[in-house]
Amino acid sequence: MIQVKDFTKKYAGFTAVKNINFEVKPGEIVGFLGPNGAGKSTTMKVLAGYLPPTEGSVKVAGFDVVKDSIEVRRRIGYMPENMPLYTDMRVDEYLRFRARLKGVASKKIKERVEEVKNRCSLKDVERKIIGTLSKGYRQRVGLADAMVHDPELLILDEPTIGLDPHQIRSVRDLIKDLGKHHTILLSTHILSEVEMTCSRVIIINRGKIEASDTVNNLTKLVRGGGAIKIEVQAGSSLAKDKLIALPDVDDVEILTESDWSQIKVFPKNGADIRDTVYGLIRNEGWALRHFNREGASLEDVFVELTQD
Amino acid sequence: MRGFITLLRKELAAYFVSPVAYMVLLACSLVIGFSFWFWVNYFVSNNIKEVTVFYAMYNGFFFWFTLIIMCPILTMRIFSEEFKMGTIEMLMTAPVKEWEVVLAKYFATLLFFAIAWSPAVLNTAWMHFASPEKIQISWGMILLPNLCLLLIGGFYLAIGVFTSVLTQNQIISAILSFAMIFILFCAGFLANGKADQSTQDLIEYFSVMAQMDTYSKGILTTRPIVFYLSGITFFLFLTQRVLLLKRLKA
Repeated sequence: MIQVKDFTKKYAGFTAVKNINFEVKPGEIVGFLGPNGAGKSTTMKVLAGYLPPTEGSVKVAGFDVVKDSIEVRRRIGYMPENMPLYTDMRVDEYLRFRARLKGVASKKIKERVEEVKNRCSLKDVERKIIGTLSKGYRQRVGLADAMVHDPELLILDEPTIGLDPHQIRSVRDLIKDLGKHHTILLSTHILSEVEMTCSRVIIINRGKIEASDTVNNLTKLVRGGGAIKIEVQAGSSLAKDKLIALPDVDDVEILTESDWSQIKVFPKNGADIRDTVYGLIRNEGWALRHFNREGASLEDVFVELTQD
Repeated sequence: MRGFITLLRKELAAYFVSPVAYMVLLACSLVIGFSFWFWVNYFVSNNIKEVTVFYAMYNGFFFWFTLIIMCPILTMRIFSEEFKMGTIEMLMTAPVKEWEVVLAKYFATLLFFAIAWSPAVLNTAWMHFASPEKIQISWGMILLPNLCLLLIGGFYLAIGVFTSVLTQNQIISAILSFAMIFILFCAGFLANGKADQSTQDLIEYFSVMAQMDTYSKGILTTRPIVFYLSGITFFLFLTQRVLLLKRLKA
C-alpha cells in the first residue's frame, strides 16, 4: 500500500527526513512513533500528496505521490495534526462538502455522511457551527472527514491529541474497527494506544528509522525485555555465580541483599529463561517468595531507541 | 469540473456568512441608489438628453472610488485565510487540481461582485416600468457600461486573488492589491503629459476611464475586451503557479 524508497525531505537548509525506506502492506495498522521534530508529520504530509519528496520515491497504492498526486489523494484519508477546519461551516454542511469534493457519488453522499457521523459520535452536534465545537469534537470531525470517502488508506497524524480518556478509548476502538477493512498509518505519543491497536510499529528519530517491527519483537530487543525478578533465601554472591552460569543468561543484578536476596536475571536476545531459572532454584532448594517475568514496555523501547 | 462546482458553491456560501460581505453589499447599494436618485433628478430638472444615467453614474468619482476600494476587500481573504488557518492543507490533499481551486475562488468573487452591482441594472428596469411615458430603450447604452464594469471589476478581482495567494495576512493582501489597482488606474492620467503621440496611444490603452467613457456612449470596441480578458488570464495563471509552488517548494 505504501512504498517509501530512499526518501529524503529537506526544508530550506534543514533536513527533516534522511534517506528512509519502509513499506506498509494492505490491511496493516502501523504505528508511526518518534519524538517531536523527528520527521513524522513531514513524512505523513508527503504520503498525503501535499509535499513532494526532495529525493527518492514515495508510492501509495502503486501511484507516485508527485506524478499521480490526484490518484493518490483519491485513495487516502488524511487527518493532519491540529486539524484545520472551516470554522464558519456547520458539521453536516462541512462533511457533505468534503464528501462531494472527494468524489463521493451524489446519491451516496447522504448515506456516507450519516455513517461517519454515527461512527464518530457526531450526531448531537451535526447542526452546530464548527468554530463553536470543543477540541474533542473538532478532532472527531477531522476523523469523520478523513474516512468520509471510504479510502483504502488512512493517514492519521496524532488523532487522539487533546481528547479525554473516554474519547481516546472510543477513537481507539474506532481505529481497531476501521483496521479490519482499511490500511492505517497513525502517529501518536500515547504508546499504550499503539500497543493495543497496531500490528506493527515504525520508530523514527532525527529523520531516520530506528526500528520497524511488531510490538512483541521490539520489546525483546531492549535490555530488560523478558528479564526475571526473583526473591530467594540464598547468599547473593553464591546465587549470582550459579545464575550467571546458566545457558542464555546475559547478566545478573543484585537488587537487595540480606537474609532474602532480590535478584534480576537478564536473558540473552529475549530468550525465555523461566524454566532454567526455576529448575536451578528447585535443585538448590532455595526458598522462593517472588518470581516474575518483566516484559519491557513499548515505552522502554521508545526511550532506548530515541535517546541521544 | 465537479471539484470546481463544489468549491464554487462553497466559496459563494462563505461570502454570505461573513459580515464583511454584507457591509460591501450595503455600501455598494447605498452608493448606487444615491447616485441613481441624484442623476435622475438632475437630468429631469435640467432636461438633459445628451447622455444616459449610466454614463453619469459610471463616470463619476463615487463610482471609481467604490470600485477601487471594494475589489481588494472582496478578495483579501480568499487565499490568505486558508493559509492562515491551515485549511489549505485539507483543501490540497483532496483530489482537486490547483486550477480548479483558483477558478472556483475567482468566479465566486466575480459572482458576488455582479450581485453587489445588480441594483444598478434593477433600478433601470424599475424606472422603465414605473415611468408613465414609454421610453425608447437603447440597449447598447445600458448593457455596454455594465459589460465594461464587469471587465474592469473582473480584472481588479483577478489582481486581488493573486495578491491573496502571496501572503497569509489579509491586510497585506488588501494593501498590495489596492496599490496595484490604484497604479493601473492612475496610469491612464499620464496621457495628459507632453509625451509623443505613440506613447499617448499606448497609455490610452491602459486608461480605464477612457474605456468606460467609450462604452457608456454605447460604442463597442474590442480593445478593452482583449486587454481585460488577457489581464484576467495572466493574473489567474500567476495565482495557480504560486499556489503550486508554495506546496512544491516548501
